[in-house]
Amino acid sequence: MSAVNHTKRHTTSEFDLPELSVQEKIIDSFKRNWQIYLMLAPMVVYFLVFAYRPMLGLVIAFKDFSLFKGIWGSPWVGLEHFHTLFEDPFFWRAVKNTVIISGFSLLFAFPAPIILALMFNEIRHQGFKRLAQTIAYLPHFISIVIVAGIVVNFFAPSGIVNIILTKLGMAEPTYFLTKPEWFRSIFIGSNIWKEAGFESIIYLAAITGVSPSLYESAKVDGATRFQMMYLITLPCILPTILIMLIIRIGNLLEVSFEYVILLYQPATYETADVITTWIYRQGLQNSNYDVATAAGVFNAVVAFALVITANQISKRLSKTSLW
Amino acid sequence: MKTKTLLLGAIASASLMFGGAATPVSAEKITSEPLELDIFFHFRDKYGWDSNWPVAQEVAKQTGISLNGLAPTSAGNSRELFNLMIASGDIPDIVGGEFRGAGMKEAFDQYGMEGAFQPLNDLIAEHAPEIQKMLDENPIVKSAISAPDGNIYYIPYMPDGDVARIWYVRQDWLDKLGLEQPKTVDELYDVLVAFRDQDPNGNGEADEIPFFARHTEEALRLVTLWGARSTGSDTYHQFYIDNGTVAHPYAHENFRTGITNVAKWYAEGLIDKEIFTRKSRARDELLGGNTGGVTHDWVASTAGYNTKLKDQIEGFSFMPMAPPADVNGKVWEEHGRIAVKPTGWGIGYSNEHPVETIKLFNYYFTEEGRRTANFGVEGLTYDMIDGKPQFKDSVLNGDGSVVGQMWEIGAQIPVGFQQDYEYERQWTNEIALKGIEMYSEGGYVVDQFLGFAMNTEEKAVYDKYWPNLLSFMQESYEKWILGATDVNADWDDYQAQLERLGYAEVQAALQSAYERQYGN
Repeated sequence: MSAVNHTKRHTTSEFDLPELSVQEKIIDSFKRNWQIYLMLAPMVVYFLVFAYRPMLGLVIAFKDFSLFKGIWGSPWVGLEHFHTLFEDPFFWRAVKNTVIISGFSLLFAFPAPIILALMFNEIRHQGFKRLAQTIAYLPHFISIVIVAGIVVNFFAPSGIVNIILTKLGMAEPTYFLTKPEWFRSIFIGSNIWKEAGFESIIYLAAITGVSPSLYESAKVDGATRFQMMYLITLPCILPTILIMLIIRIGNLLEVSFEYVILLYQPATYETADVITTWIYRQGLQNSNYDVATAAGVFNAVVAFALVITANQISKRLSKTSLW
Repeated sequence: MKTKTLLLGAIASASLMFGGAATPVSAEKITSEPLELDIFFHFRDKYGWDSNWPVAQEVAKQTGISLNGLAPTSAGNSRELFNLMIASGDIPDIVGGEFRGAGMKEAFDQYGMEGAFQPLNDLIAEHAPEIQKMLDENPIVKSAISAPDGNIYYIPYMPDGDVARIWYVRQDWLDKLGLEQPKTVDELYDVLVAFRDQDPNGNGEADEIPFFARHTEEALRLVTLWGARSTGSDTYHQFYIDNGTVAHPYAHENFRTGITNVAKWYAEGLIDKEIFTRKSRARDELLGGNTGGVTHDWVASTAGYNTKLKDQIEGFSFMPMAPPADVNGKVWEEHGRIAVKPTGWGIGYSNEHPVETIKLFNYYFTEEGRRTANFGVEGLTYDMIDGKPQFKDSVLNGDGSVVGQMWEIGAQIPVGFQQDYEYERQWTNEIALKGIEMYSEGGYVVDQFLGFAMNTEEKAVYDKYWPNLLSFMQESYEKWILGATDVNADWDDYQAQLERLGYAEVQAALQSAYERQYGN
């Protein structure tokens, strides 16, 4: 059949393109662009294997799961695990803590790399600029376990923070890491220290892309450096900022759980216990994979809704969106 | 494939027979034909069954059964590897090992009842006289390892000896301040205050930390001085049996008195202020820094600091001390070694040689098998002196700890066997031995509860409520110790919240499990 079509195609005039069936269009496109498809293949396989196939496993949220009976051999329990979740006061506390920590992170940690990038951009001396950037990147490459160790030491009653505070006249050392009211500040603050430098790279790259002619004409008009920063640089990198914001909102519920586990105590659960640590204690430590999966599904649904909302808002306000 | 393995097995055993002819084969072999079985065995997140272990080869030589290890012989997460094996549905002939923490018993029970493992009761009765004898002599062990359906799915590892964590005190500080070892809780209080105020390390600064520990839970365990409990077994946070009733220490009325006093001691600076974050560094930092006074920790490793710090701190002497009598005048030690560990090995459902396999398990309970499992291979790691095994000097003075060396050759691994305390006595230092003797002779150590075997309904209740209950209890007692809230003001609300979180349900589930398992 296709052989007939082929001959037909070649016999028609070369200006009169033949009507192709969908199947033929696909084959044709593949033949012409096979190199591109080949380059695409690893990513497609990656998503199929590591993102889509595991999604099948989500059905265990609706089952009384046993490893030995397997996913399909375990009996259905309907929404029972979700009932367990929603009736659990500590689950809601964990949701609340997750939202608060993420919200404050968004408020304080998201602008930090942008501000840092703008500041790097204003440094005149090239050597100093490079040095400052390198120092700011470095913490990113320290393992989270080490960072937690440093934080625990610094904030201990005999640690450097308390030494400075007592020298400044505070009477009693504070045991920061056992006080729920201090947990969020320490968690978010140390995260900014660790990641702001590295995250500023993407904004620095965006700043590099701003046309120099804009600055030159502004200079002619007598703009100050500060005006140039918020009237030219910021609007020009706004699309980058918005894309980063949408991505960040998608990960809003993903509070780095290994870092929380390294820093928290039962005494600070009140503000430190987040959904992922709750899942870890409730599900994984006790091998309750089904309840843990139910919490994971809840997490994913909320995150999905957040991304869509953020994307819509961004689309409406600035015409920038992920899709 | 089958013939190939058989052939390989034959060659291996033949070479062993001729090559290792130094020791005569005394026991009768289990099989006349060499038999090779597959085994999944991984423990301590570090070791997998290795058929090259000298002990594995020795056992193969003695029994005619060689085991082919399927788990990686390198580091890995034992629990995850086990879960992967279970999830594959392909259960090897023999399965065993040890998870970090606990949980292997639950896995054997759950998957055993679902059909992954063979029930061993009849096999033991018919083919394993030594194991049967051990179970007849220790009915409580039989109760402890039985699943809720009454079947036994695994043969456990049984530690020997009963002393584990004990009290240690800076004897040189006591001498310097002219004090005696405290005999009661009040005397302990006075000693701790003296350590805090009288500068026993003589550096002119009030930097002494009277009581310290590597685990926050050891500060919590101070409630035992007021007659309360902090756990029921050798792991933290466990239920205990109070006159036939299952109870959780933290929900018990007398915990209130205990924790009130612990909070008071913490506020007074008698307990390390940084106990919540110092953790595993505590002994190195505080003993090494010449600031720590009293602790409650593992007998052998703590005694080791006497040798370690001998040259750094003049007169350093960290000595075992009997538990101070509690407020009721009772002298007791809550922590001890458990008689049965929730680890061991079982037989997979598809094993075609269950009789030979149970005979192999039985071998480990014979005198010869037990010696091999404890001491390794004669001539290589130990010699027989006056009919008793004695470690060679090369092992006692070898690289790393003796137990580490034993793991490397496949001895002292958590298969189903009875540990022989003699193995440990031979390399324990004298100060620790003194402590062990003191605690054994005094009979201080209370019985450790061997754990529950919950059926499906009980387990569902437990799984649903317990993680939250425990989190809430931990959160509460930490706040009390830290002085963030007051115990006595909170106590009624605390009890009410425990009820709301399902304490009564969990208690009832465990009570029914307990009565089925241990009631007669």
